[in-house]
Amino acid sequence: MLEIKKLVKRYGAGAPVLKDLDLTVQGEQVMSIIGSSGAGKSTLLRCVNRLVEPTSGSIRLNGTDFTTLSTRELRFARRRVGMVFQGYNLVDRLTVMENVQSGRLGYISTWAALTRRFPKEDIRRAYELMERVGIAQYASKRADELSGGERQRVGVVRALMQRPEILLADEPTASLDPKTSEQIMALLRDLASELNLPVIINIHNVNEAKEYSDRIVGMRYGRIIFDDVPEALDAAQMDEIYSGTPSEDRKAQGASA
Amino acid sequence: MTANLDYWRKPSMIKTPSLRYGIYIAAITYFVLTVATLPIDWQRAAEGIERAGRIFSGAFPPNFDRSELLITGFLESLKIAILASAGGMLLSVPLAFMAAGNISPKPIYYLGRGIIIIARSFHPVIVAIIFVKAVGFGPFAGALTLIVYSIGFVAKLLAERIEEIDFGQVEALRAAGAPFLSTMFYAITPQIMPRMVGLGIYQLDSNLRASAVVGIVGAGGIGSTLANAFGRYDYDFALAITMVIVGVILISEAFSGVIRKQLL
Repeated sequence: MLEIKKLVKRYGAGAPVLKDLDLTVQGEQVMSIIGSSGAGKSTLLRCVNRLVEPTSGSIRLNGTDFTTLSTRELRFARRRVGMVFQGYNLVDRLTVMENVQSGRLGYISTWAALTRRFPKEDIRRAYELMERVGIAQYASKRADELSGGERQRVGVVRALMQRPEILLADEPTASLDPKTSEQIMALLRDLASELNLPVIINIHNVNEAKEYSDRIVGMRYGRIIFDDVPEALDAAQMDEIYSGTPSEDRKAQGASA
Repeated sequence: MTANLDYWRKPSMIKTPSLRYGIYIAAITYFVLTVATLPIDWQRAAEGIERAGRIFSGAFPPNFDRSELLITGFLESLKIAILASAGGMLLSVPLAFMAAGNISPKPIYYLGRGIIIIARSFHPVIVAIIFVKAVGFGPFAGALTLIVYSIGFVAKLLAERIEEIDFGQVEALRAAGAPFLSTMFYAITPQIMPRMVGLGIYQLDSNLRASAVVGIVGAGGIGSTLANAFGRYDYDFALAITMVIVGVILISEAFSGVIRKQLL
């Protein structure tokens, strides 16, 4: 269970990006966070594993308060949080297997990492997961030879290799075409239930969010202003989340897709 | 307001016109003054041309009689270049990581930058003079000199390459809880590898050339052979050496070009 309490993040002297934010995520639910650019979705996600340092508040994952950890403790704690990125963030010049195994770097020694002596069990698990998402045949290919959808699958497998207690996905489909994007969303949803894993997804595409999540959180200027099942999200609330003119475009997009 | 305009000029870098033209005038004035006041002794230069004529006439035809000395000198230069390139690369890589602002903490960053700046501030000839004084005449001084020279060049360019990497890859591994060194090896090394190989090959090439120069002040290699030939007024042998230097550099240039194309 992830419990975020009174989370504040302020960059410099300006207004905080996250304002006293409370959020609890539990079980194997897929939760999507929607909101216009600058609402603080990405900052919120990055505060969880402290890629962004929170200003105040607490973040507890199954009992561990992430905000008070020392550097070393944080490194161990991060292994418990998987993350999938918008730009995949794969190491292009390494093979798919090396990229997948890099999810285990927190567990193996630097020497083992350098000499590519991965534990047998990790290799077995890597093949299992790659098989599951359909990229096992690319194990020895360089990551930059793959298509966008395949690359994001590598990203997902890398995160799963950590055996995470929660999976964070920061706009995982924003660089993908609509069809591939739906495949990745479906994959995240299915994996969540197969692996009993809560998943938090930042997403711009409201339609996909509604279709593939169990819960939707709407953010606006650092606050959560909507938090309910997808069916409860109606036009009026959409308008409020995306208030201003861009909401018109997004609604139109939503209707046609 | 802007609807009917059809005239646009790029804003100048220096906004105030008086300041802008002031700087232009100052720069031109300084240049003219420099040329006007530089002590150039035209009479001495004219005598020099005569002397140059004597040297060149003495140099023809080039004399390859002592080719054994030539080959020994060259092999020594090659050894210096290889040793200096290997040593230089070995020291440059960790130094480059230290001197990359995006990954190293401030004190280490300044230390790394400082070492690079010191290595860069002196021309190899000056470094060679110091090393010749310190460890005596010969190839060892040459190798040490070129190691310093390689560090200044390779570590600086490599550090700049590290600062340009896609940081998302580092972020991904940090998010996975990877320790510091593992992150370096997985997220950074692959990204800078092509540049590293390119610099290594270039450095081998460049050190071979530079070894001829530092040899002149006594740091071994073909440069020493050349300096001796000049010292003994053996201009014909000196020309032979010069020709071979040019030839070898052309060959190494072509060779490294081919390797670089294959690798990158």
